[in-house]
Amino acid sequence: MDSNATLPADCELAIVGAGAAGMAAAALAASLGVDTVLVDEQEAPGGAMYRGLTRATSLRISDADYTRGIELIDAIDTAKLRFSGATRVCGISCTSDGFDLCVASRGHAQIMRARAVVLATGAMERALPIPGAALAGVAYAGAMLCALKLGAGAPAGRVVLAGCGPLLYVAAKALRAAGAEVVALLDTLSVRHFVRALPQALTFMRSPYYASGAKLLREVNDNVPIYHDVEEFAALGNDKLASVRFRAGNRAVTLIADALVVHQGVVPDVQLAEMLGCALSWDDRVAAWVARVDVWGMSSIAGAFVAGDGAGVAGARAAEHRGRIAALGAASSLGHIDVGARDAAAEPHRHALSVAMRGRRFIDRVYLAPPRFRMPEGDTIVCGCENVSARQVIELARQGCAGPNQMKAYLRCGMGACQGRDCGLIVTELIAREQRVHPGRVGRFHARFPARPMSLAELASLPSTEADRAAVARMPGVDASST
Amino acid sequence: MRTRNFDIAVVGGGLVGAALAYGIAGGEVGAARVVMLDEGDHALRAARGNFGLIWVQGKGAHFPAYARWTLNSARRWPELAHRLHDDTGLDVGLSQRGGLHLCLSEQERVVRTKLVESDGGEGARLEMLDRAALRDVVPDLGPDVVAASFGRDDGHVNPLMLLRALHTGFAHLGGTLVVDAGVRSVSYARGIFTLTGTHTSVQAKRIVLAAGLGNAALAPQVGLVAPVTAQRGQIIVLERMPPLLPLPIETLRQTTDGTMLLGDSHEDVANTATSTGVLAAIANHALRALPRLAEARVMRCWAALRVLTSDGMPIYDASASAPGAFVATSHSGVTLAAVHALELAPQLAAGTLDPALTAFSGQRLRAAA
Repeated sequence: MDSNATLPADCELAIVGAGAAGMAAAALAASLGVDTVLVDEQEAPGGAMYRGLTRATSLRISDADYTRGIELIDAIDTAKLRFSGATRVCGISCTSDGFDLCVASRGHAQIMRARAVVLATGAMERALPIPGAALAGVAYAGAMLCALKLGAGAPAGRVVLAGCGPLLYVAAKALRAAGAEVVALLDTLSVRHFVRALPQALTFMRSPYYASGAKLLREVNDNVPIYHDVEEFAALGNDKLASVRFRAGNRAVTLIADALVVHQGVVPDVQLAEMLGCALSWDDRVAAWVARVDVWGMSSIAGAFVAGDGAGVAGARAAEHRGRIAALGAASSLGHIDVGARDAAAEPHRHALSVAMRGRRFIDRVYLAPPRFRMPEGDTIVCGCENVSARQVIELARQGCAGPNQMKAYLRCGMGACQGRDCGLIVTELIAREQRVHPGRVGRFHARFPARPMSLAELASLPSTEADRAAVARMPGVDASST
Repeated sequence: MRTRNFDIAVVGGGLVGAALAYGIAGGEVGAARVVMLDEGDHALRAARGNFGLIWVQGKGAHFPAYARWTLNSARRWPELAHRLHDDTGLDVGLSQRGGLHLCLSEQERVVRTKLVESDGGEGARLEMLDRAALRDVVPDLGPDVVAASFGRDDGHVNPLMLLRALHTGFAHLGGTLVVDAGVRSVSYARGIFTLTGTHTSVQAKRIVLAAGLGNAALAPQVGLVAPVTAQRGQIIVLERMPPLLPLPIETLRQTTDGTMLLGDSHEDVANTATSTGVLAAIANHALRALPRLAEARVMRCWAALRVLTSDGMPIYDASASAPGAFVATSHSGVTLAAVHALELAPQLAAGTLDPALTAFSGQRLRAAA
């Protein structure tokens, strides 16, 4: 691997995201002779799952998951490809013979052309809108875990975890291991949920997740007081978290707390796919947008592949195999292997993928965040960037607001630094509920350039043509501004 | 599909349509008989790409009626802002302390000075400021800035809040809003207009076509002309910053909440994609004006389509063959919002256009076309 190379102007295959899917795709594509560039926002490859693994402690490496990560990282270390870390893909568009990626790194931006792309941007945490979410001391479990992997210390004082999903329990275990005082875990799911999902449970028990999952639940259960059926919770304090109040059944409880770690599952990060114009669908099972892909992971746009959690959250093992299948699809579309070789090479990965996907339906069903925590009410903030409350969104939806983009124009929700990543799903679901329309019909915020943060100087460093500059040079006296 | 009946139907829920519908609903007709037909969530929406300037300087140098109309609107803006606040409780962030047009070269200064000297015949207050005078107003300007024209009547407003306030005001007054109407055809028979869209059918005794680019196809169906074409403009929005710009500059303005807007590109392109080349050119232009912006974070960029006539002036017209049909289009939906709501709307409600507006008839463009 040519690490942190200067980005080329052209390549055959650009892979965005060096998590499990991106790393596996890059190593395989490179081995097939595809001129491959792999970029990631982090300095080192690894993604969220294998973050900081190169300097991991021996304790971590003993875990089977982490051994997988080391193998993936080793594979791209020895592969003939270029890796560019600390690199943001701010924009992507189709050209006549491929794609233009607008890439920014260390104060400079450039356009990189690629004949094919694999978007392996993974998943992001689903927002958990609660009263007091903006208080210092409230953090998301995924971000907390990434920080722990990079060697950050556990939060001091009494820690409460709240929300739902396996990662919440992973965080509870990791925080305890890092020396945190975990005083309670508030689970917003009810036991009835598990009963409803029982038909899928048998497959789940044959999945690789079952044994480790059961062990994890047992371990957290034995060491942390868990409250189930939590119907409401709020972070309280002035500027800093002081306590967490919650209601479970008939009980209302207030716990003194210094840190509140929240989580309610992850959803595909489809922002670049959306920006490129790939068809997305609303998946009711996970209440989120998913990129529509064929058996090779190719989106509705020829040459644009979506691999890993971006094409539906399924975890790192599945992501790895979907990455390889996409790499084979891309290598074949670029003419490096013929269709027969592609199909034969994909066979073992398809088998491994189906094993990794076992029980996914069960997990999706059991851990889907409850509606009341996806669609808040009243003064609870929906858009933290622009301070927009649920009440405002609901009122305008009832007034007949045409959709998320008109809502954005009215209230500025989704216009902030997160580009609507946090509030997008909430706004879509709130409009859908109020107007009694399926979320898939309500639609979503238009993705705006830049998809990732960029300074004005970086933007100014991008190439422009004579015609581009002429479009901005004003003819004195000519009135054509939009006023 | 059920057909609903109204006295007046306004086709278009952008800044022009909403200002007219709001003005009509607040008048004597009564809001109950007024419908505003808007498009859906994916409409082109020039209104959502507006820069938010209330701009007088440089307008109508060769078209006195337009210069008067523009200046009149700027002067009546405080009244509109008050009325919207009374009706909706929303503050559209009006600020009218003047505006600047920067000259980044000696040549630009010469051309601008000529314009300033020839302008102002209609009462606009316009003057040139040299670099020293300019530095007192905006201390952080870059070394390339040699001079600026200063228009005392210029100002700015939050265009999205304006759109929301017009819609909310119309709703509070009791007007009917139909979204996703997608009006594609209009017919006239025995004093009644029928507007048909994908999901809608509406009948009205009077119609106002304020459908932006859609007017080009709708107007001829009722004996009107609206030869409008699309021109793409791209805008960059920066993060909130401490106050740097006390006055709006024609290509650069800081909103009341500190957000910085950069814009003003012109391309004969009819799609709303952004392009990195033009955005880079806008960024470079802005950095020449205000170098301190270099490290500011870009929050988002977008493109929208201006609705332009070949001479850049609005069209207001009444149909001779289908009495009761009117057309209104302008790319200055913010600047002209005050006269649209306070002067044009009452005329439309009464059914006759003021003779002073005959200069804006679409017929002037028919000869040229």
